[in-house]
Amino acid sequence: MTRPSCQDTLLIKKRDLKNNYFSATFRTYSRVDQCRPGQFVHIQIPSAEIYFRRAMSIAGVSSRRREIEVIFKVVGRGTRQLGNLHEKDRVNLLGPLGVPFRWPRKSETAVIVAGGVGFPPLLYLASEMVKRGHDPRRIEFFYGGRSSADLIERSRIRKLGVRFHPVTEDGSVGEKGLVTGPVEEFVRRAPNRHLRLYGCGPEGMLKATNELGVRLKVPGQISLEAPMPCGIGICLGCVVPLVGGGHARVCWDGPVFEIGEVAL
Amino acid sequence: MSPDLRVSFAGVEFANPIMTASGCCGYGEELAKVYPLSKLGALVTKSVTLKPRLGHPPPRTAETASGMLNAIGLANVGIDCFITDKIPFLEKQKTRVIVNVAGSSLNEYVEVCGRLSDIARVDMIELNISCPNVDEGGMEFGADPVMTEKLVAAVKKVFPRPVIAKLSPNVTSIATIAAAAEQGGADALAVINSLVGTAIDVETWRPRLTYNKGGLTGAAIKPVALAMVNAVHEKCRLPIIGIGGISNGSDAVEFFLCGATAVQVGTALFIEPDVPVRMLGELKAYLKRKKLSSIGELTGKVRKY
Repeated sequence: MTRPSCQDTLLIKKRDLKNNYFSATFRTYSRVDQCRPGQFVHIQIPSAEIYFRRAMSIAGVSSRRREIEVIFKVVGRGTRQLGNLHEKDRVNLLGPLGVPFRWPRKSETAVIVAGGVGFPPLLYLASEMVKRGHDPRRIEFFYGGRSSADLIERSRIRKLGVRFHPVTEDGSVGEKGLVTGPVEEFVRRAPNRHLRLYGCGPEGMLKATNELGVRLKVPGQISLEAPMPCGIGICLGCVVPLVGGGHARVCWDGPVFEIGEVAL
Repeated sequence: MSPDLRVSFAGVEFANPIMTASGCCGYGEELAKVYPLSKLGALVTKSVTLKPRLGHPPPRTAETASGMLNAIGLANVGIDCFITDKIPFLEKQKTRVIVNVAGSSLNEYVEVCGRLSDIARVDMIELNISCPNVDEGGMEFGADPVMTEKLVAAVKKVFPRPVIAKLSPNVTSIATIAAAAEQGGADALAVINSLVGTAIDVETWRPRLTYNKGGLTGAAIKPVALAMVNAVHEKCRLPIIGIGGISNGSDAVEFFLCGATAVQVGTALFIEPDVPVRMLGELKAYLKRKKLSSIGELTGKVRKY
């Protein structure tokens, strides 16, 4: 594991992705080459109102430009202040932190299940898989949300050349329903293929993905979210119960866990 | 000449006066991945109890104005696992090791401290008689001067090296408890543990912690902690380790001036894990600027009106 460190960066690009979603890109982040999909940075928000850092999964990095991107939705005080930042604001990042996703084998098909705000680390994962030479036709990217406005940055997924399956609850884009429906259908229709699930999203979706993996015996991983005071495993605030008993720290033992590992 | 950051008390010398507070650094393994623990004056472990404890269900932390509430509930691996799994790691660290001990009965404290007595790596014990987040023991001991004296005396009988009593601010007179700990034979005092507090979600009417209340820490409690260090320093001759909302060198100097010999950094580690390293530089610069040669020249030197 790489040594995490605190580092001052500048917010160099902020994009309003609509529907309360924002993309923020920070420069110069010297640790871009140590970042892996599934990991997060702990962002110190320059505001007297906010005491703790806020954990944001990495949505992408540019190795050449030493840039790191996070995508977030404004849901509370911390994300509101983060959304209020201006370009050129100085922001301290602690990271990269957490256990990353495991790469699929060449022969495996990656079944990515993204729900709403769980999308950013999976965008990074799919991009890196393609960059590392994983056949994009062996990446099935399921992306679910309430309506089309929740499915942000769709063009970036399409550009990767992966098999893209948008799903919305209101049917405004892609298939209508919950994302885990088409995922299950796909898994059931591919009994002889080597599949690997990757899930991140709201609790209900994660539960369903986890349960689907256990029931249909498809290996894979899910990435969890939790409020994290420290992000480095020392405050014991973000624990989740494990199936085998005991607690795991989402920040340090996760946020990526094996399917069937966590008692959701 | 470069100022000397070494401090010593209870017959033990420390490379510098900055320690990590119990419950804010685990057993040191995670922080050691960020910087070498030799930078610390001492590492104070998470409370160790006789049996392992899972702690309370989440949410067990909550952000508050300039601070946080926690009710972790003394989650720890228990003394057996601590000795077999954590001591080997601590053996290799070039820093002082202070093991924080908690219990729900006098016997439990004595048993745990007894188990630590022949482990030379454990330089000192810090008695947690001030945890606000357990139903039995913890703060109940530290709120009663008779129990405090009895407990410290009992532990002193089984542990041959220095014993620190970590005091609770949730008492009428902290100086009375400090005097009782001194009477019992404590070698030093850690002042203060967290303040009892709570926070409520007005949408759900639920407390923000499943334990319904917790301990307040962080910058918000620094003024309270300073006043308590001062009160203890006036009434008691034991060396004091100041704790409460310290996040930079200047905060530490305030504690020294009020009577502290060393300080512990807790909640600030959650925001800046390497804050002790930054503080060392700030303390050195401060001593230089004030033309002082050691931290000892600050202790208790507040110029009162």
